[in-house]
Amino acid sequence: MADSTSTCSLVVIILDTNPAWWGRQSNHGNPKLSLSKCVDSLMTFANSHLMMNHLNKIAFIAAHSNFSHFMYPKRQQREVTDIDTNIGEINDGKYELFDRMNNQIKDEIKSLVLKNMEVEFENDSLIAGALSMALCYIHRMEKEKPIGVKMTSRVLVVKASEDNPAQYMNLMNTVFTAQKQNVVIDACILDNDSGLLQQACDITGGVYLKIPQPQGMLQYLLWVYLPDPSTREQLTLPARVQVDYRAACFCHRNLIDIGYVCSVCLSIFCSFSPICSTCQTTFKIIAPPKLTKKKSKKPTT
Amino acid sequence: MADDDDKGYRWETEYEKTWEVLQEDAEGSLQTSIDDMLHKAKRRKLLEKITNVRLGMMRHLFIIIDMSVSMGDQDLKPTRLICSLKLLESFIEEYFDQNPISQLGIIVTKNKRAEKITELGGNPRRHISALQKLKERACQGEPSLQNSLELALQTLRHMPSHASREILTIYGSLTTCDPGDIVETLKILKDAHVRCSMVGLAAEVRICKKICSDTHGKYTVILDESHFKDLLNQHTSPPPAMMNTESSLIRMGFPHQNLGGDRTGHKPSMCMCHLDSKTVEGFSTTGYFCPQCKSKYCELPVECKSCGLTLVSAPHLARSYHHLFPLDQSKEVPITDFDPGQHIFCSACQIEIQEQSVYQCKKCKCIYCIDCDIFIHETLHSCPGCSSSRQTQTAEAVFV
Ligand SMILES: [Zn+2]
Ligand SMILES: [Zn+2]
Ligand SMILES: [Zn+2]
Ligand SMILES: [Zn+2]
Ligand SMILES: [Zn+2]
Repeated sequence: MADSTSTCSLVVIILDTNPAWWGRQSNHGNPKLSLSKCVDSLMTFANSHLMMNHLNKIAFIAAHSNFSHFMYPKRQQREVTDIDTNIGEINDGKYELFDRMNNQIKDEIKSLVLKNMEVEFENDSLIAGALSMALCYIHRMEKEKPIGVKMTSRVLVVKASEDNPAQYMNLMNTVFTAQKQNVVIDACILDNDSGLLQQACDITGGVYLKIPQPQGMLQYLLWVYLPDPSTREQLTLPARVQVDYRAACFCHRNLIDIGYVCSVCLSIFCSFSPICSTCQTTFKIIAPPKLTKKKSKKPTT
Repeated sequence: MADDDDKGYRWETEYEKTWEVLQEDAEGSLQTSIDDMLHKAKRRKLLEKITNVRLGMMRHLFIIIDMSVSMGDQDLKPTRLICSLKLLESFIEEYFDQNPISQLGIIVTKNKRAEKITELGGNPRRHISALQKLKERACQGEPSLQNSLELALQTLRHMPSHASREILTIYGSLTTCDPGDIVETLKILKDAHVRCSMVGLAAEVRICKKICSDTHGKYTVILDESHFKDLLNQHTSPPPAMMNTESSLIRMGFPHQNLGGDRTGHKPSMCMCHLDSKTVEGFSTTGYFCPQCKSKYCELPVECKSCGLTLVSAPHLARSYHHLFPLDQSKEVPITDFDPGQHIFCSACQIEIQEQSVYQCKKCKCIYCIDCDIFIHETLHSCPGCSSSRQTQTAEAVFV
């Protein structure tokens, strides 16, 4: 229905650059996937996306173990030396543009890795920070897009390291925001399954896939993640994963089927306690708590 | 219809008065200047939000809609009723977004009678489709405020004491035709701790004002449609919990989702929600199973019909956590505090900030443009800078 030139798609790629995980990878005699090969695959993916429509856009953010770094497009500076030509269409310069983007992202990754050699290594990366940056960027692009152009946006998270449970709240905030803004979150998992991203993909309608052979990453990127969510319905994609929506108690972070929820602050606990440790509310002890239903019958005084 | 969301608002009237303040930008357009004023007004609204209150988040709310002849007036387009129903649709969505485990019901009043349209329940779609059906009904006779309030009271008085009891009335009429003394009803409402609020569509009515102020509710009268929307939105955030609401620890179940398929070996079964609907809907292998009695439901949240356990999913609760862990307001820093000629970029969207001020997170010290500052506080509820660092990623709950 819509003219193809009046629609465009923005993909924000978030790459987990956790130094501990990638370091371990390269220490293997025969690494399954090296960081540079992963970046190469992502570049091919990005170029393919840009080639599909001349209005399509790409952004690239690194989620490191203790910060997020916006790698592409670079902050626009008005000096002549560093004009970002991403805006505006240069027909014969298209390949030059790809080259420039590829080199820029590779340089950024290199300096990111080199600069942070001495930092204490953690086994997880702060994905929620990168995701909220991505959503702010999408929000801006939505405002800046030319009049009459319909833009769809999605985020592709490429993750290898572990989940950080302390990110739960921030991550869920980004997921609800993405859902509100119709932003799809896709996850391409290289190693550890991520309960947090399973929920993110399920809620926003994205694809969650732990790829069986990381060496073949490019194939999965082009096959599963390149098609726009609207065309995915016509493809046979990997089956949805069973998402664990059980709650983690605030006291021990155990996953529970049945728990106690504070009526003031909605904190979840695995056992009954007279005081809420989050909001300090003292609860009336109704013993045993199962009988709460009967209670409302008492005569009014 | 919904695309004019961000446009005018009641500040429109504000900038009529301040026409002389407006300045043309480089291209001779006033738009930048108007946008700037809207931004400032939005930020002011953000700052006004009360923090440090306890929130009674299990809300039970009845919406009373006046459907008397006065609702056929065309001072709102196309009519008062149609306009109200349209705005209430988005209100209901927003209400459940902000109060995920709360309930809502709808009552209408015309011909001196009150009629319950939907029972208290937690499924927004059910209420919205009921509203859509109301559009075809005619506005007739006089409203009865007393009958409506008492009908709501019948259900609300049985709600558990840890939950809030609220009534929100949309009232176009200037009179009420009641069978008895409404002051008596007011007394009962007060005793039952029901918070009554009203949005008047015409002019201030003394008895309405008294009911609202006596029950600690809000009484407001609209100026125009965008003001109406704004006033309704004030009721989407949970009200400060009333002194009497008893706090308790509620036992809840977090059901396992079953996607069906061959591997699981589950036989198809009927869900409890569609049990009496006499259709094949609800007969499948998928669903949510009560962890206590194994009854099946196709939607959450729900109160288990056979064992009474409240069934929710963890994300249902997580949607409300931003009320408990609100983001601190950022600090407005004038651009003159930076070295002249220095390029300043927004840490979130990467734009070069050209405005007169930037907004700095007090915790992580990241700098944001005004658009991101508003987006972060109104929608995202997480600071990108804070959630990108181990030292700042966890928020502190705000309680007195
Ligand atoms: Zn626990
Ligand atoms: Zn609590
Ligand atoms: Zn049950
Ligand atoms: Zn910004
Ligand atoms: Zn911050």
